[in-house]
Amino acid sequence: MSKKLTLLAVSIASVIGLGTSASTYAAISAEDLAKAIAKQEAEIAQLKQQLQTIAKEQAQQAESQKQIEVTQHQQQKAVSDVVTNVAAAEDRFSQFSFKSYGSANFTSDEYFDNVQDTTPERRNRFDLERIVTEFGYQFTEHWSMEVEIEYEHGGTGAALEYDGFDEFGEFESEIEAGGEVVVEKAEIRYRPSEAFGVKFGNIHLPIGLTSTLHKPNQYLTVLRHKSEAAMIPAVWNENGIGVYGEISDFHYQAQIVSGLNSEYFRTYDWVASGHQTRFEHVNADDLAFAGRIDYGNFKTGSAIGVSYYYGNTSGNRNKSNKLNVDGTLSIVTAAAAYVEGPWVLRGQYMYGTLSDSDAITLANKTTPGLQPGNFAQLGSKSQSFFVEAGFKLDDYLAIPMTVFANIDYSNPLMEVESGTATKRYENTWSSIGVNYFPIPEIVIKAEGGLQQVAVASIPDTNFFALGVGYQFSL
Amino acid sequence: MNFKYTAIALTLMGTLTACGGSGSDDSSTPDPVVPETGFSFAATEMVTNLTNDVIVAGYADLAAQGDALLLATQALVNSTSQADLTAAQEAWKAARKPWEQGESHIFGPVDSLSIDPHLDSWPLNTTDLQTQLDNNTGFDAETIKSWNDDVQGFHTMEYLLFGDGVADNNKSISDLTTAEREYVIALAEVFRDYAKQLDDAWQISHNPQDANALPYADLLTSPGSDNNTVYSSELAVIEELINGMIGIVDEVGNGKIADPFGDSLANADTSKVESQYSWNSLTDFADNIQGVRNVYHGEFTGSADKQGIIDFVAAADSTLSVRISSEIDDAILKIQAIAGNDDMPFRQAILDEAGRTRVEIAVTALTTLQTSLESDVIPLLSEWNPQ
Repeated sequence: MSKKLTLLAVSIASVIGLGTSASTYAAISAEDLAKAIAKQEAEIAQLKQQLQTIAKEQAQQAESQKQIEVTQHQQQKAVSDVVTNVAAAEDRFSQFSFKSYGSANFTSDEYFDNVQDTTPERRNRFDLERIVTEFGYQFTEHWSMEVEIEYEHGGTGAALEYDGFDEFGEFESEIEAGGEVVVEKAEIRYRPSEAFGVKFGNIHLPIGLTSTLHKPNQYLTVLRHKSEAAMIPAVWNENGIGVYGEISDFHYQAQIVSGLNSEYFRTYDWVASGHQTRFEHVNADDLAFAGRIDYGNFKTGSAIGVSYYYGNTSGNRNKSNKLNVDGTLSIVTAAAAYVEGPWVLRGQYMYGTLSDSDAITLANKTTPGLQPGNFAQLGSKSQSFFVEAGFKLDDYLAIPMTVFANIDYSNPLMEVESGTATKRYENTWSSIGVNYFPIPEIVIKAEGGLQQVAVASIPDTNFFALGVGYQFSL
Repeated sequence: MNFKYTAIALTLMGTLTACGGSGSDDSSTPDPVVPETGFSFAATEMVTNLTNDVIVAGYADLAAQGDALLLATQALVNSTSQADLTAAQEAWKAARKPWEQGESHIFGPVDSLSIDPHLDSWPLNTTDLQTQLDNNTGFDAETIKSWNDDVQGFHTMEYLLFGDGVADNNKSISDLTTAEREYVIALAEVFRDYAKQLDDAWQISHNPQDANALPYADLLTSPGSDNNTVYSSELAVIEELINGMIGIVDEVGNGKIADPFGDSLANADTSKVESQYSWNSLTDFADNIQGVRNVYHGEFTGSADKQGIIDFVAAADSTLSVRISSEIDDAILKIQAIAGNDDMPFRQAILDEAGRTRVEIAVTALTTLQTSLESDVIPLLSEWNPQ
């Protein structure tokens, strides 16, 4: 019990004791309180400051958020701009066109050393004949332009040629037509309707089928038709203006262009080398008219057509005091093509006359420095033709191959104004061969044939040619 | 540091100034003694002499021979006399001589007026020639001028006068058809006209289109004068003359002889022999080198001595001048020797083993001469101090 009491006493005592100590505490507490308050106030101030900082940070965040939104907006705008630009560029690109075609050949011909030689020798040759690039642009619905650049024989600026007809056979350095990189076409076209268009600049003349069909897949022979090259500039381009169009199945063209220069007419290719490509400027004192009308389309199938060229050639001579006659040139061609089923049949006849051919001959022979050599005599009349016939084997053999036969004939010296024309330049080439298309863009050709000169003492010779050509357009 | 850079800069500037200074010093000091190089030679007399007494005289002779040839062929119109044909053949050979000798100076009008191919196109186009004979009655000179060069000139006349030359060079007058007679007369007229034109170009006006153009002879003799647009100095004229000599030596050795000669008897080609119808080839070749001799010596053989290229060469090196002279003579002798003891024409000699050996000796002599002209004479041009 006593233990119980003791515990109680102790407890009371401690309460009293506590009471004592409490009164002591009460006595110091005012200071402490002030301190505590101060401390609290400091804490509050600190908190306020922290709050302010937070508020500031929040404001900054809000600001940057706003900036982000602005940036995002800008980005969205930029993206939409790019999209618009890309669309426009795509649109522009669709107005742009690029085409290319080209050919490389191996030929094996027999040639004669000189005019006395009747024992031919064989000569094999490779030739990177031509690479052509064509750029076009359709500015608007009606306006467009096209530039064609041709790299011939690998595209050097000068060539060394061997002339077997000269005294002992001579090497001649020939600077080609402003280099053998040639702008073959540079024209601007305005075509408000199918029926009517205008083109001007450096344009192709529609004389001769080669002007229309000059890509490797458009003719059957390995080389372009020799008959045409022996009379006129092959793929003939001049500066000028022309109208053209299509009315139902009729295609027409009419042009006024720069004329030829008779200073460079030669026996073996008649007026072809009169094409003014030797100088920087083209003399245009004599203009010429060129026209063509076709029924059907030679490029895509069957057609018939005629073309006509008329113009004077003496006015464009550089030595204008050597000749006071016109040297009027007229050329007419008639052509037909039948392309149906497996059949390809094409032909052309060309006939030309040149007035004052004797006077031009004499002027060419006696112009100081011109040196036409032995080939000054000119035909007052000239003619040539070709017929090519092909048969597509595709349906029968499941091979994309065409077999063909071809005849080319040309006589640039058909008739002379006075005296008798030699038959030395009257040539006939007959050949057979194949065209093989491993893919539609590429053609591999082989051809073998016979060349005959209409002079009995010159023996017939054989030739063989292999070629590869391509064409594509973007 | 700054001081250091300044010092370097000053040093550099000093050095550069010193370098620059050394150049300008030359003007104030007397010319240094340049060792005497080259040689001196007064060329005016030589050029004048070569122009007038060799070149112009040669073309005047050609024009005169052209007249004579026309007369000789005209005598053939209705003639049945073999002597008339022989006379025409001789007239042809006589005209051939100044022309072949003139090939050593085949520059100027003969080139610029394209007269060379009109007169001397080779090979002849016998096929076309036959066509003309078969299809024409009556030939006139003006028409023939418009024909291609390979059916006119020396070799066409040669073919008509001498025959085909395969077995012999003696055509019979009875084999000369009417068409051939008419044709050869017209050809001779064309020839005479061109020879006259060439002579005029040297003596009257070198450009028939321009009345004010000087005679070509004046261009050679007055180089550097105001209206001379061709030759700026005597050096240019002498260079032209020497290159002319080299040109024909090269053509005879490497063209006219070597081409038909081939690399073996099997490859010899008589169809390429120039003047094969008249069998005049060796005379042609020898005359070509005789022309070189004329220019070198400054006078035709047998004439009184005048100045020629030999005097120019002798002024530099008298031993060389004698050597060249003997090499020219040697080449002429070796060409003539191709004929052998039995007077074999060139077209036969290239098909004969002994003949081929003689041809090779002649070619070697020509090569020697060409090398000397190119390597010993041409360099003298740069050593010459004109006076």
